[in-house]
Amino acid sequence: MSRSRRRAAAPTGNRSVLAGFLSLLGEFLITLGLVLALFVAYSLWWTNVLADRQASARGDEVRQLWTRPPTAGAQAAPGALDTQGGVGFLHVPAMRNGEVLVKRGTAPDVLNDGVAGYYTEPVKAGLPWDASGNFSLAAHRDGHGAKFHNIDKVKNGDAVVFETRDTWYVYKVFAELRQTSKYNVDVISAVPKESGKTAPGRYITLTTCTPVYTSKYRYIVWGELVRTEKVDAKRTPPAELR
Amino acid sequence: MYGWIWRQLPGNAWVRALISLVLVLAVVYVLFQYVFPWAEPLLPFNDVTVDEGSGATP
Repeated sequence: MSRSRRRAAAPTGNRSVLAGFLSLLGEFLITLGLVLALFVAYSLWWTNVLADRQASARGDEVRQLWTRPPTAGAQAAPGALDTQGGVGFLHVPAMRNGEVLVKRGTAPDVLNDGVAGYYTEPVKAGLPWDASGNFSLAAHRDGHGAKFHNIDKVKNGDAVVFETRDTWYVYKVFAELRQTSKYNVDVISAVPKESGKTAPGRYITLTTCTPVYTSKYRYIVWGELVRTEKVDAKRTPPAELR
Repeated sequence: MYGWIWRQLPGNAWVRALISLVLVLAVVYVLFQYVFPWAEPLLPFNDVTVDEGSGATP
């Protein structure tokens, strides 16, 4: 009697332990799925909210600074840089994302504020007002403002305009590299050979990651300066932006 | 796990549901504010620069 009862009880006990374990595992997996879904929401939405907020505040500060008359000491040199606040704004009509504040450096803490950064390493960028050089920029494709999200919409002949305190630098896109290795630092050299150029000039290079939502490769767009325009009192944008 | 938490909460079903909601929001807050910003640079989704791959994050 007692033996048969024990025999009957034993499988039930095992089964309940197994059921408990499986239900715990199931709950854990559901939790993991929810956390991953939340991470996607964080990456693709929340970081944009934070970055756009930052970028527009910093951009307003730069514009505010520009409206003030240059003070004798601090702004003596032409095109004097406030590298903290940002050097100017990038306008790429083909990307249809308005203006992008440009700051010094490409470290994550710079780019994560929804700006484009110009390279300081591995190859130092030339600045637009230099006699020659490559103004190489990086920005996020997704998340953190996703300022270069639509880089694939930029075609040869499209305008890329960089706005500083006193000058519009109008560039024209002449080449692109839709996919390249992330170690291909030659693309940001002063004379980017892969774009087909062999002589020094005033170039601009946009870099970001590709395909979208990953960073396996890099997407490169090259432009060349076609002209500069003095900023007038009303900051009338050049024809390309109208 | 969730069943166990539910049983630990005081009050009737409505109170428990309210506390659960607060707990869920607290967890989401901690994830967005602390865990995800910490985890993101460790994951290979958002590097946009070209570099020499010296290990230094661009």
